[in-house]
Amino acid sequence: MSPVRRGETLPIHNRISVLRAERRMTRAELAALINVNPQTVGALERGDHYPSLDLAFRICDVFGLPVEAVFSRAAFTPLSAELYGRTTRTKGSEHDDAGNAV
Amino acid sequence: MTQATQSDPNLLDRYQAYRTRRFLKHERRYGNALSGWRNQGRRRVLVIVLGVAFALMFAVGVVCAFGVTWAPLLWLPACFVFYPTWMALQIVSGRQGDAPEAALDEYEIQQRNSARSIGLTVTQNLMLLPIAYLIIGSVLTRGTDVSMAYAGGLMSLTVLLIGGCTPAMILGWSRADSDAEDG
Repeated sequence: MSPVRRGETLPIHNRISVLRAERRMTRAELAALINVNPQTVGALERGDHYPSLDLAFRICDVFGLPVEAVFSRAAFTPLSAELYGRTTRTKGSEHDDAGNAV
Repeated sequence: MTQATQSDPNLLDRYQAYRTRRFLKHERRYGNALSGWRNQGRRRVLVIVLGVAFALMFAVGVVCAFGVTWAPLLWLPACFVFYPTWMALQIVSGRQGDAPEAALDEYEIQQRNSARSIGLTVTQNLMLLPIAYLIIGSVLTRGTDVSMAYAGGLMSLTVLLIGGCTPAMILGWSRADSDAEDG
């Protein structure tokens, strides 16, 4: 559902499935904690449904993370790449895998 | 959606709370009934059977319009098809089409509202058929055809049933089966 009346619906990406898997939590367990149907968790993970602010806060409370760690306008990169992103050093400057200066 | 407020609940809030309690009571009673029919394929079969029942009901109305005296009896077999099928669809789809908001989460409310919106549009458009039949027919016959009033009533009843059942039929048809991951 678009929160605005007209115009383009902006994407809201989330890390729910990754965070759930990290904690070895089933959809039903997460659904029980945030008081929704397990199918709704599936819809959130697939991006079929964008959560209300209330539901987003409930989800973040379960994982103990701030909203920006769970939801984002830009697609998330893998958590492992963010934490342990390999950098290659070249003469005079530092570059990551994509060749961008770091 | 009923919001948590500091003020005392008014009549509407109390009625919605009563509806929610009643809905949850029914859900506890029928939540595991007809477990073999709680998949998309079987729900679609029920929706198709309901569609056939509605077609039969409308056909009875049309036959009655021609003054066939035994035609109203055909309404009974249509009801015998309709009622068990409708009850089965309501049970296996969790009555999501007419559930109170407090019993649904935000995604379910969104889907239900979409289905209800389509149901209202279907009702408004289909209702034009019996209305046109009754208005034009009464002018042409100067209101002397008794069969016309009876047939118009049956057609209107059929259209109201279709409109009322459409949200549950849409949700029953479209809701995907639970993933294995849904636990």
